Amino acid sequence: MEEKRIGVYVCWCGTNIAKMVDVEAVAAKIAKLPNVVIAKDYKYMCSDPGQEMIVKDIKEHKLNRVVVSACSPRIHELTFRKALENAGLNQYMFEMANIREQVSWVHDNREEATIKALDLVKGAVNRVNFHEALDKRSVDINPATMVIGGGVTGLSAALELADAGNKVYLVEKTGNLGGHVANIDLTFPGLNSAAEVLEPLIYKVNNHPEVEVYLNTTIDEVFGYVGNFESTIKSGGKEYELKFGNIIVATGLTPFDPGKISSYNYEKLPDVITSLELEKMLKEGNVVKKDGSEPKKIAIIHCVGSRNADYHEYCSRVCCLSALKFSNQLRSALPETNLFQIYADMRAFGKGCEEFYASTSKKDVMFLMYDQQGDLPRISKAEEDAGYEMGIEFYEKLSGEDIIVPADMVVLMVAMEAHEEAKEVAHAVGISLCGNEFYIERHPKLDPVATTTDGVYIAGTCQGPKDIPDSVSQAKAAAARILASIARGTVEVEVTTAVVNEDVCCGCQTCIKVCPYTAISFDEEKNVSVVNEILCKGCGTCGSACPTGAIRARHFTDEQILSQIEGLFSKEMQEV
Amino acid sequence: MEFEPKIVSFLCNWCSYTGADLAGTSRMKYASNIRVVRVMCSGRVDPTFVLKSFREGADGVLICGCHPGDCHYHEGNYKCLRRYHFLKKYMAQMGLNPDRLKLAWISASEGKEFAQLADEMAETIKSLGPCKVKEEMEIFD
Repeated sequence: MEEKRIGVYVCWCGTNIAKMVDVEAVAAKIAKLPNVVIAKDYKYMCSDPGQEMIVKDIKEHKLNRVVVSACSPRIHELTFRKALENAGLNQYMFEMANIREQVSWVHDNREEATIKALDLVKGAVNRVNFHEALDKRSVDINPATMVIGGGVTGLSAALELADAGNKVYLVEKTGNLGGHVANIDLTFPGLNSAAEVLEPLIYKVNNHPEVEVYLNTTIDEVFGYVGNFESTIKSGGKEYELKFGNIIVATGLTPFDPGKISSYNYEKLPDVITSLELEKMLKEGNVVKKDGSEPKKIAIIHCVGSRNADYHEYCSRVCCLSALKFSNQLRSALPETNLFQIYADMRAFGKGCEEFYASTSKKDVMFLMYDQQGDLPRISKAEEDAGYEMGIEFYEKLSGEDIIVPADMVVLMVAMEAHEEAKEVAHAVGISLCGNEFYIERHPKLDPVATTTDGVYIAGTCQGPKDIPDSVSQAKAAAARILASIARGTVEVEVTTAVVNEDVCCGCQTCIKVCPYTAISFDEEKNVSVVNEILCKGCGTCGSACPTGAIRARHFTDEQILSQIEGLFSKEMQEV
Repeated sequence: MEFEPKIVSFLCNWCSYTGADLAGTSRMKYASNIRVVRVMCSGRVDPTFVLKSFREGADGVLICGCHPGDCHYHEGNYKCLRRYHFLKKYMAQMGLNPDRLKLAWISASEGKEFAQLADEMAETIKSLGPCKVKEEMEIFD
């Protein structure tokens, strides 16, 4: 058996780790462990010089196993695996100890943090002793893509892919393409028609030879893996079996229901309406009260359901600008009307937006600030002879006074919520939700449209509130990622699947019962279980059920995990 | 010196490990007694892993998986739950306080919940005192 030669690298991550963990002491102590040939600490292991150091050491010291003790493996495991490959070592001869997210950032006692870091590195070193080289597996990429959601994001992504000559299956839950943008009159800050943006997209998609549109259709379940997904969809009374290599989820948003905020009396007072209802009126060119008369005073309340711990803590990002847009539109449509903007903070970021705010403020619009942390404004019916319909009572922050704003119509700028069926779609395609039920990206900065499931991308407001330019950018980014994989033609997939040792398998078939993917079948002749590696996703449930230890979850074998546990408690730790 | 327990924590890669990472990126502080072992799914947590942890000197074991219905592998967490109840009974029969083992659901967004859980678990185990399994087994070594 070949001699085990382990290199251990402890990262400072600048001061992120080094401030709370004595990285030099960890490296010095680890150097004494059996099979550890070299142990170093370095400022930034993920940097070019850091990676080059590993490559150089592997060659110079004939290392055949590497441990990096740094950030979460969810961030840089693949980075370092690549470095191993560059040095000619199998990428699975690598283990990572997470001493940043799970040590230095969560503890405030340096001694305790150092002891814990040392334990974790020892566990990793012990584990890596039992790592085995695994062969790469490449699979072909089916060039077709499924796009879920036919709003501006889904349409943009579909066209980008289809224009490059690839099949796109566009699945839309409702009976129409266009999503929420179809209900918008003008876009900010240019006050251009939303239809000018949307109609050409819909026309192109409907007439594109590579795009198949399925309306009134939802996705129940998707089978397979990157490059080779499959789903059966029901559309118009027929069933279609679709095969595709990648998925873009662009399911969009659901508007916040302002009925949840009792002080706004939505649906109780007739002329308290949502921003979406005002869009509809503007689109129809008919801004009137419920009784058909013209409103003389219109108030717009911001942050309805946003930036408030009772509803949603996040900012919905488009409401401030939409409200300014409404002021411009209403000023043109009803020149004599009094306009009030009742805002919490004005957030006019984005190209041309601050300028738009400045120009709007010169159009006889009264800006009043309410206290988002205090009581929300209260809308109540005015007295019969008041000369206006409703009074909006609140503490005006800038003047420091309690005031009542008269209004005949109140517009509530409702928040963007994650789509009400976000969870169902997440289950169907195998991705995760964050606390607000928006989808989680693989990395917020470095990989914002990918998810932790290979071949599944997210774009638009299903990932978080955003405006049209940002949604379209994400759509095109997701399409670009997919086009790159189609251009390569193949993709490497994880080979951490289960495998059966036929000599030990007793044929009890317990593994077959617990496998969630029906990836295990029974060979009657040999009386053993057989794993279909294409179907296996490597969860390892079979490994923990097997009574004889015949079935092994590769890269998470009993041996590897048990030795990691041993490492956590190995004697050396008590010296610290 | 105050008793500082060692708690082995098996976290599933998709929800709980990500949740624990989130506690880090959000700079939440919690007790340093937890030693995390990453598994792909809570369904991978073989009862042997738990018993091995106690055998090696763990004072407590914390298993975390995705919330029911949210398992990345559909139902691994349910299998973990069944094994957990079985293990608790087994531990009691072996004279090991079942309170030393805990199973909890932590989603990828529950960094705060993970930090609280780590603190609670540390408190529970501190109140139970050191686990004697390793010491008592040493006569067989």
